[in-house]
Amino acid sequence: MNRLRLTGGLIAVLIVLFFLLAWEAAVSLLNIPVYLLPAPGRILRTLFEHPALYAQASLLTLGEAFAGLLIGLLAGVLIASLLTLLPGLEEGVMTLAILLKSTPLVAIAPLLTIWLGFGILPKILITALLTFFPVLVNVLSGLQKVERHHLELFHSWHASRSEVFRYLRAPGALPYLFAALKISAPLALIGAVVAEWTGASGGLGRVMWLAYTNLNLPFLFAAIFILAAAGMSLYRLTVWLERRVIFWQSHPEP
Amino acid sequence: MKVEITALSHTFFTPQPRPALLDLNLNIPSGHFTAIIGPSGCGKSTLLRLIAGLLRPTGGRILLDGQTPAQANAARQVAWLAQSPALLPWLTVEGNIALARKLLAARLNHQMSVQEALRRVGLEDAAQAYPFTLSGGMQQRLALARLLIQNAGLWLMDEPFAALDEITREQLAEMLLDLWEPRRPTVLWVTHNIYEALRLAGRIIVLSAAPGHIVADFSVDLPHPRREDAPAFQELLREVRAALNLAVEAAA
Repeated sequence: MNRLRLTGGLIAVLIVLFFLLAWEAAVSLLNIPVYLLPAPGRILRTLFEHPALYAQASLLTLGEAFAGLLIGLLAGVLIASLLTLLPGLEEGVMTLAILLKSTPLVAIAPLLTIWLGFGILPKILITALLTFFPVLVNVLSGLQKVERHHLELFHSWHASRSEVFRYLRAPGALPYLFAALKISAPLALIGAVVAEWTGASGGLGRVMWLAYTNLNLPFLFAAIFILAAAGMSLYRLTVWLERRVIFWQSHPEP
Repeated sequence: MKVEITALSHTFFTPQPRPALLDLNLNIPSGHFTAIIGPSGCGKSTLLRLIAGLLRPTGGRILLDGQTPAQANAARQVAWLAQSPALLPWLTVEGNIALARKLLAARLNHQMSVQEALRRVGLEDAAQAYPFTLSGGMQQRLALARLLIQNAGLWLMDEPFAALDEITREQLAEMLLDLWEPRRPTVLWVTHNIYEALRLAGRIIVLSAAPGHIVADFSVDLPHPRREDAPAFQELLREVRAALNLAVEAAA
């Protein structure tokens, strides 16, 4: 199995390399001007010519994304837990959550910037808003989805509602939490960048906005490359964590 | 624990009214091992669920040592074992037993240790293993150890070994008798296997097809271990099978 995973990883790297090479070749063969589509080599050169700038911007954006994700995660888990323990509240709170969710991000982001300024606070809030919903929905269904035979067992022990929650529902919802994290972690980056785009004093979104207004596409693409790499790393990290935490998942349920 | 069931009826109302049990009367003295057998869908499991307090009957009364099922359940006096061992996959063998012990701690009037419970079912060497690494038979043995630690007065068993192969099932049946013998809690054992009922039980109740009621009641006065080739065993086997066939034909 380990060898299989290694081969899979190798193939993934080869596919990405092939894609980049094809891109490079297409740009030079078709003579595509740099203000339309810069070649990957040019983009990477731009990136390495301004290491401090990109490092600083990345640190800020990733920090905002992490902070927002953490808040969204905590809020989602907390509210899902509350709704499981007090199911009477579910319909009302879920309606509110869906309302919040269906309001477009691009509508809220500028508002929060107006209200809260150009600092990191509106970025963190927007990221939290964006990542909160997948966590809420997934964790809630994880907490509610319990095997009947497990419930019967806990009933025969006359376990209290909080005991059922702590010893049965919560561990059973862990796989759902990770499923949510796989969606929310890349979303966190989007949230932070979009928020920065609407007005910020720094970060990758700010760099992209500046590059965009100057039609400096290598600069813009360098930021995109960083975001793509960060998104993929976050996803991989989640999968790695998941394998360690939910060790019983890949086996059939007893 | 004494079980007294009077004029018990139960009807499911989803989606249409479907009577599952009709006017069932049954008295089981404390310490008896009783098998309940009947055609599939006759309400055997429903009966067990009603006694466990998982369902409330639409008619009639159940008393367990004079208590309602809810009261007996609150006293942790009713233990439950079904076809699925219902183990928690994120806990080790030891952890599964320890959790039962912890949640039942207030009511455990004898303090059997986790190790002792595992030793009784021969799982002491697997204490640190996770359930998914165990065979089906070992998983059900773990469930038996968990049942044992509850120290309940009534064991409700809904075809607990039905998913296992023949040989494992026989081994577990023997083990169950050994575990039952010292304290003799009352056992209600639902099965569709006549041989199993005859090997284990002191009494066999035959239910009709739905809505279930009692059509035959046999007492099995054979010493353990029971030999299937003994004439008395064969005689009872014929009688129980005849009663069961009658119940099935009546439904057809």
